[in-house]
Amino acid sequence: MSIFTPTNQIRLTNVAVVRMKRAGKRFEIACYKNKVVGWRSGVEKDLDEVLQTHSVFVNVSKGQVAKKEDLISAFGTDDQTEICKQILTKGEVQVSDKERHTQLEQMFRDIATIVADKCVNPETKRPYTVILIERAMKDIHYSVKTNKSTKQQALEVIKQLKEKMKIERAHMRLRFLLPVSEGKKLKEKLKPFIKVIESEDYDQQLEIVCLIDPGCFREIDELIKKETKGKGSLEVLNLKDVEEGDEKLE
Amino acid sequence: MVLNSLDKMIQLQKNTAKIRNICVLAHVDHGKTTLADCLISSNGIISSRLAGKLRYMDSREDEQIRGITMKSSAISLHYTKGTEEYLINLIDSPGHVDFSSEVSTAVRICDGCIIVVDAVEGVCPQTQAVLRQAWLENIRPVLVINKIDRLIVELKFTPQEAYSHLKNILEQINALTGALFTSKVLEERAERETESQVNPSSEQGEQVYDWSAGLEDTDDSHLYFSPDQGNVVFTSAIDGWGFGIEHFAKIYSEKIGIKKEVLLKTLWGDYYINMKAKKIMKVDQAKGKKPLFVQLILENIWSLYDAVLKKDKEKIDKIVTSLGLKIGAREARHSDPKVQISAVCSQWLPISQAVLAMVCQKLPSPLDITAERVEKLMCTGSQTFDSLPPETQALKAAFMKCGSEDTAPVIIFVSKMFAVDAKALPQNKPRPLTQEEIAQRRERARQRHAEKLAAAQGQAPLEPTQDGSAPETNLKGEEPRGDEEQVESMTPKPMPQEENNQGSFVAFARVFSGVARRGKKIFVLGPKYSPVEFLQRVPLGFSAPPDDLPPVPHMAYCTLGNLYLLMGRDLEDLEEVPPGNVLGIGGLQDFVLKSATLCSLPSCPPFIPLNFEATPIVRVAVEPKHPSEMPHLVKGMKLLNQADPCVQILIQETGEHVLVTAGEVHLQRCLDDLRERFAKIEISVSEPIIPFRETITKPPKVDMVNEEIGKQQKVAVIHQTKEDQSKIPEGIQVDSDGLVTLTTPNKLATLSVRAMPLPEEVTQILEENSDLIRSIEQLTSSLNEGRNTQMIHQKIQEKIWEFKGKLEQHLTGRKWRNVVDQIWSFGPRKCGPNILVNKSEDFQNSVWPGPASKASKEATKYRDLGNSIVSGFQLATLSGPMCEEPLMGVCFVLEKWDLSKFEEQGATDKQNQEQSDLVKEGQMGDEKQELQDGCSEPFEKRTAQKGEASLSDCYGPFSGQLIATMKEACRYALQVKPQRLMAAMYTCDIMATGDVLGRVYAVLSKREGRVLQEEMKEGTDMFIIKAVLPVAESFGFADEIRKRTSGLASPQLVFSHWEMIPSDPFWVPTTEEEYLHFGEKADSENQARKYMNAVRKRKGLYVEEKIVEHAEKQRTLSKNK
Repeated sequence: MSIFTPTNQIRLTNVAVVRMKRAGKRFEIACYKNKVVGWRSGVEKDLDEVLQTHSVFVNVSKGQVAKKEDLISAFGTDDQTEICKQILTKGEVQVSDKERHTQLEQMFRDIATIVADKCVNPETKRPYTVILIERAMKDIHYSVKTNKSTKQQALEVIKQLKEKMKIERAHMRLRFLLPVSEGKKLKEKLKPFIKVIESEDYDQQLEIVCLIDPGCFREIDELIKKETKGKGSLEVLNLKDVEEGDEKLE
Repeated sequence: MVLNSLDKMIQLQKNTAKIRNICVLAHVDHGKTTLADCLISSNGIISSRLAGKLRYMDSREDEQIRGITMKSSAISLHYTKGTEEYLINLIDSPGHVDFSSEVSTAVRICDGCIIVVDAVEGVCPQTQAVLRQAWLENIRPVLVINKIDRLIVELKFTPQEAYSHLKNILEQINALTGALFTSKVLEERAERETESQVNPSSEQGEQVYDWSAGLEDTDDSHLYFSPDQGNVVFTSAIDGWGFGIEHFAKIYSEKIGIKKEVLLKTLWGDYYINMKAKKIMKVDQAKGKKPLFVQLILENIWSLYDAVLKKDKEKIDKIVTSLGLKIGAREARHSDPKVQISAVCSQWLPISQAVLAMVCQKLPSPLDITAERVEKLMCTGSQTFDSLPPETQALKAAFMKCGSEDTAPVIIFVSKMFAVDAKALPQNKPRPLTQEEIAQRRERARQRHAEKLAAAQGQAPLEPTQDGSAPETNLKGEEPRGDEEQVESMTPKPMPQEENNQGSFVAFARVFSGVARRGKKIFVLGPKYSPVEFLQRVPLGFSAPPDDLPPVPHMAYCTLGNLYLLMGRDLEDLEEVPPGNVLGIGGLQDFVLKSATLCSLPSCPPFIPLNFEATPIVRVAVEPKHPSEMPHLVKGMKLLNQADPCVQILIQETGEHVLVTAGEVHLQRCLDDLRERFAKIEISVSEPIIPFRETITKPPKVDMVNEEIGKQQKVAVIHQTKEDQSKIPEGIQVDSDGLVTLTTPNKLATLSVRAMPLPEEVTQILEENSDLIRSIEQLTSSLNEGRNTQMIHQKIQEKIWEFKGKLEQHLTGRKWRNVVDQIWSFGPRKCGPNILVNKSEDFQNSVWPGPASKASKEATKYRDLGNSIVSGFQLATLSGPMCEEPLMGVCFVLEKWDLSKFEEQGATDKQNQEQSDLVKEGQMGDEKQELQDGCSEPFEKRTAQKGEASLSDCYGPFSGQLIATMKEACRYALQVKPQRLMAAMYTCDIMATGDVLGRVYAVLSKREGRVLQEEMKEGTDMFIIKAVLPVAESFGFADEIRKRTSGLASPQLVFSHWEMIPSDPFWVPTTEEEYLHFGEKADSENQARKYMNAVRKRKGLYVEEKIVEHAEKQRTLSKNK
């Protein structure tokens, strides 16, 4: 059957192709759309729901099935189903529309959740709701990048949102314990990082309770370690300073 | 009919005995507003032709569109009966359940009420409710049976049928009144009994017959409605007619020559007239004799309707002439029978006469306020009148007297605040100009014209030098005048933009005693004010001006602003308001929130809070469309809160603004108000976020089909193992009883953590004592720093020990031995219902203050590391693994804490360095870097250069690593245990009548509710059902239950507790039995999983759900497309 006729073509519509190169040859399998990602994440357990057919192709769109010899040379077996599974897990996937859509949506939500979690309205010290943040993100036309982590993107979003609305990262409450000798000097150095100093107490040690932007925690930490040669210490009192409890308007 | 001038009204207001404060109450759509329309038209405010169609009192746009009343509004009417002139302050109220709070505000400031009942529909749920409200407020009702025309036209009843139908309705209403009466009597008796139990000195003999004493002894005949008592009127408001028995009694006494008194008694009831004998006899139904009511009254009306509907011209004319009426040619020729009927009837039996006559006759004037009512109004809560201070008791006399002398104390009750557009206020309204003003203006215009001419002339000759200055100055002189003019013409019009936008609040109030004058200084007493407190704080007979008074809670001192006469949608300015009148007061919005008592004496008690039939129950979250408009929303919500007596506004910890309203229609109105009136921004409304908690439980003994676990072989173990693998990555050791061991990334510290469920009682204790735990935490932290411990108060100390004792009491058994002493921290936020227990040998630390936990030197060494562990625990408890919700009722046990490697390093420097663990840590960091060559190069360089100890290695600071590791360890420790979700629960109290009980149960069970108890209210047919309902299922609950029970059941929801959802969110069938029962995929809905996935989806977390369920069923795109 070397003649290429319409009858020996297996033409498939609605296909998502998964490709893999092995032993210099390209192999393809024909899958249903929006199913491959589900199989990879383990949600879909039924292979027949993923594969259109168990045969391995050289070219799905042309309907050319791979030769047995090639399969054996590349995979060491001619069990089509086994090979399909291998290709499914390791091959390169076409991400279908719905898959991409859900992925983007999920990331968008995740970013909004992170932002809502980290930020407050500076006037009321109360967080914004996720829905509100989502809407604000849409307003500034934020587009999600799939190759960046959501946390990274969330920090970026906060920066952009600050221009549009009253939003601020919730402050972190810290306590420094500094030796008196270096206390004064160090305090000056710490000043630019500190938003609000809540209390200061010179006793045997200089004790400062203050609010900082969580972004500069690391720098403060390093500064104190370095300057006091380990004598000073730093304690996180509160990860985020938010109004707690419900309030009834009266 | 003359339009009553303001002066007339003011004059009438002074005659307190001739004032009637009434409100119209009824079920929705029984014709309150139409009736009000008819009464208003009698005063010429609206045309009688429009009465019933205009709905004058419904001034809001949405009221007109929806056709229901949404707020109560007042109007003052004038009624002349013979030589007597009455002032009637009529308040129209809404009938819809959602607005029953408005009814409460109306009822409070009235002395009587008109209960309207639809003749076809009869007694409806709201009729019951309003009757109850009127009863509770102690105001006297009269009855109007409305829509009699429907009996004729729609139901086509014969007069006889109509009579028995009306009788039926009357009986129903009287039964209701009777029930209210009995329940009150029973209540009183119960009170008396409890009292007599308290002082058992009373003789035994009395109590023996006391059980029967309650009902028979109390006279209740005056309570009931009966036409022969004159407190019932039959009307058809839409056709504009109505009559009482008296009207016909008068006519027929003249016609037939029977005494009016006899007719009054016999016109209603089973009596018939024997014309031959000229006697009225008791009827015997079997004889087929018609009662008088049918024969003399109903049949006449029926025949009129019959004639008009059949367009029997002659007959109509005959009736008209026989009644001696004049019908206008236009009405007579009109093709619509309705017009003819109303033309005839409104002359023959004018509705306003019938109703207002009854009102004036039967309802009390403000002077007749009963002592009982006064006492009730003045005694808040369980206080009795006698317990009030004597100064306060003295006020009762003022109440009763209702005097208008200057010496009488002014007592005003504000029942609600309503928002009015600044435009509608009289001072801002364009007023017709008086003659003089017009003349003045004309003069000015003439002048200006002349000046203009002069200026033109002056300029025309082109004399720019000296003379030119004259017209110029003239022009300048004219300019300001022109401005003045403009200003003058502006002032009557709405204020500049901002003020116009604001609108203002007018208090809906009534003067109970004294005269309210504009500019009078008065005390504003909030609902929680107590005169006792005032009298304690202020020495008797104070002489200081009131502004210098020491601050007393819930009391303010202010000046009465503008006083208004309420005329429906219009307000009229008043200088003073004599007692007994309903009025509007401006300028109180800063002092009064929703309701208040105003009094010139501070010894006045605040009136008892309004008695709301419906409590706010429908919750939604409100947000601005544009995030930057948040401040507008908050401001708007504050205004809404003030304007609506039955709205609650909460700001939740999540940042949500939650609006709680009485029902869906009420909600809609509130949102409209917010959008268009108060906030003026776009808002979006959504279901409020529902909180959950995560917890773990003991491994189950039986599986889902009640088989013992472990006996049958597992069929689908694959599923289970696959999931376990996905949950717990490599590198973590988990032993069989759930001990999780985890090492920090730099391999220096190893933690072993186990999670255990806490007993329910312990969780509860922890929840209750969260404030105490917080203070403990503060204490220990200050202790740890070596600060003085004197600040520990004895009281707190005691409380702490009591709390500890309680915990010990509940944490018994082998597992929990010594656990209480080893508690290290609570979480989340250091005060939550989860516990961290430290069981490691080499390190002791606990939350308990006192000598037991005196920090030893060894301990301080570890303090910073300990803090990291605690932080890790806090983070872990703040967001659980299932859906990032806080944990609850979990105990984490830190079994081992292996820092051997860390210590080794510490030991080496011990000789060199002082006892500073931080440096040790740093050193460790250095050495670590030597050990691991994989570190980033610049880092190494930097440390090398500086030659200093740095805490960080390539994994970040060690403390951070410890936090992360601890957090992970806790999470995995949770995941190896059976996890469960906890749902917030409402307790739900439902009042329902017996016949809808079944439907209530159906709604409850559909929404996963559970009935706890059900009992009957004594003396009524109402049942009180107590149930619990998950908060997650409560959205739309109130609406559904009202719909299903036609409004006969009204629920109340209050948050009560957290409850574990028994089903496992990760459950899949594993045994053969389960397979048989549920199938491989466990298709039946798993409640816990449903909730979990919903939360995960909302938060953008990964949800184990297929994007497409059936691959084959996707749309196939053909090539051509």
